[in-house]
Amino acid sequence: MIMGSKAGPAPILSIEDLQVSLFTRRGVLPAVDGLSLTVSAGETLAIVGESGCGKSLTALAIMRLLPNPPAKIVGGAVRFMGRDLAALSEREMQRVRGKDISMIFQDPMTSLNPVVAVGDQLIEAIRRHNDVSRHEARDRAIELLRQVRIPDAERRFNDYPHQMSGGMSQRVMIAMAIACGPKLLIADEPTTALDVTIQAQIIELMKELQSSSDMGLIIITHDLGVVAEVADRVAVMYAGRKVEEAPVEALFERPLHRYTRGLLGATPSAQRRRGSRLVEITGNVPALSDLPQGCAFQNRCPDVLDRCRAERPQLAPLLPHRSAACFAAEKELSRDAAAIGA
Amino acid sequence: MLTLFFDFARRFARNRAALVGLFLVLVVVGVAIAAPWWFPRNPLRIVGRPEIWPFMSPRYPLGTDSLGRDIAAMIAHGARTTLLIGLCASLTATIIGITVGATAAYVGGWVDELLMRLTELFQTIPNLIFVLTIVSILGQKIEYVTIAVGVVTWTPIARLTRAEFMSLRDREFVQACRAMGMGSLWIMFGEILPNALPPVIVLSSLVVAGAVLFESAVAFLGLGDPNVTSWGQLIGDGRTLIRSSWYICAVPGLAIMLTVLALNLVGDGLNDALNPKLRDR
Repeated sequence: MIMGSKAGPAPILSIEDLQVSLFTRRGVLPAVDGLSLTVSAGETLAIVGESGCGKSLTALAIMRLLPNPPAKIVGGAVRFMGRDLAALSEREMQRVRGKDISMIFQDPMTSLNPVVAVGDQLIEAIRRHNDVSRHEARDRAIELLRQVRIPDAERRFNDYPHQMSGGMSQRVMIAMAIACGPKLLIADEPTTALDVTIQAQIIELMKELQSSSDMGLIIITHDLGVVAEVADRVAVMYAGRKVEEAPVEALFERPLHRYTRGLLGATPSAQRRRGSRLVEITGNVPALSDLPQGCAFQNRCPDVLDRCRAERPQLAPLLPHRSAACFAAEKELSRDAAAIGA
Repeated sequence: MLTLFFDFARRFARNRAALVGLFLVLVVVGVAIAAPWWFPRNPLRIVGRPEIWPFMSPRYPLGTDSLGRDIAAMIAHGARTTLLIGLCASLTATIIGITVGATAAYVGGWVDELLMRLTELFQTIPNLIFVLTIVSILGQKIEYVTIAVGVVTWTPIARLTRAEFMSLRDREFVQACRAMGMGSLWIMFGEILPNALPPVIVLSSLVVAGAVLFESAVAFLGLGDPNVTSWGQLIGDGRTLIRSSWYICAVPGLAIMLTVLALNLVGDGLNDALNPKLRDR
């Protein structure tokens, strides 16, 4: 690209300095703190992190579906195709949800209404945002079921969710999510509740649907295998903040942040030498109510510096196309640079 | 859809008592429907000698009352009144109860507080006194009796609906519906309500039985609609003769008892058939 790396296609979604707080009895907790992200059309961004790091809250904040109380957006902006979503009325937002941005949830078995046949749920999803007759919607629904590879779609159309397997249900959820041709699809741990072979099929399906429709995809996961499979870019979150962002190959090749390194070290892979042990990250994520001064990862970090305990590292572009918030990584890179210079 | 119905019918039929109840209810409904053809003349007309005992005269199989009116005709026409009031009152109560309970649970916060305090307020007022008060203020007409009974019996339905909604509100499919851009009203009544309905239907069927009793009590006390015959009114009219001609009270009393019992049995059957927790036993 002539324009250089930064200027790709204009982002369809850009989150700037998003802050989500939880208002609890123990005080106001910063669950998402100063998060900035962008997603372009046709691009897949993976958001990775342990449970409770603010991944799902970010997704809900984009959709303006945060459970309030306790969660609330207290700062920043979410811009979708140039529009600030925070400024929309609830009614306008309802037109965005499902039509422009849709979402897939973790557990497909509970995400479908148990008393409505899946076909009718699809018809509902289609007719919510399209002015079509029931008959037309039905044809479109069956076509969608075929598109998500549900065998014998016409017969399955009248099935109830409890008659379907987890993988089938997730396919139906995906069909509902893409029913109105969204520009952005947010998948919140779409494969966590499924078994491994089905996971691969669902991932494959999502990749395929994305490439045929050029929609942006945000995939939220803690499964680095999924990340390697689908993502173009990865944002790593820890305790409510983005600590590293990088193109996927670069991240797997050389993770900068010590937390990312820990995550990769704790992931089993086929290439790993036999007999080598998985390395766990010791300790737990600190509670949001008592984040330490300085870096939130300091107590679990193998390379912790004095500076990490004193001040909080800011996200900085340490290498081309990528950034990290880690003093240890900064030091290491400057040492490398010095070695080359010498 | 059809298979679902057969499933439902099979589970209902497994409860023998419920079948008996259903049979009795159907008999009462049949009598109510057939009444104008069976006894085409106004049942409040005096037709014969007063105080003929049941089974004594072939023309008046259930005898005549103190004024010489045909008890069989009054029972048949009374079934219409009693059932109509029972059903309409239950419907009124269910609509009020579902609206209040669903709104309270779905909106939450101060709306929930307000609606639940209101519900408790209604619960603390003695039901019968409240019905009598409303009827005596509005007037002795069948519509007002219906409304009055509906207004006092909605509270348990509201509480049940609220409890069901509370547990359904935070389910993932509701979140998914919101993520699909559905509005609150649609989610409440189009998506959540069908899930919450089975126990509410069971309770509503029991409220019909309760409403029949209320109507009888109101009519017994002479506050029912004087132009329409009903079972309670028949008992009320006969109470002065209870020492000599006790059958005047006993016949409609038996009718009330059987109807209420049958409605309760049907309610139990519905519970067995609709309660997913009892499904596969």
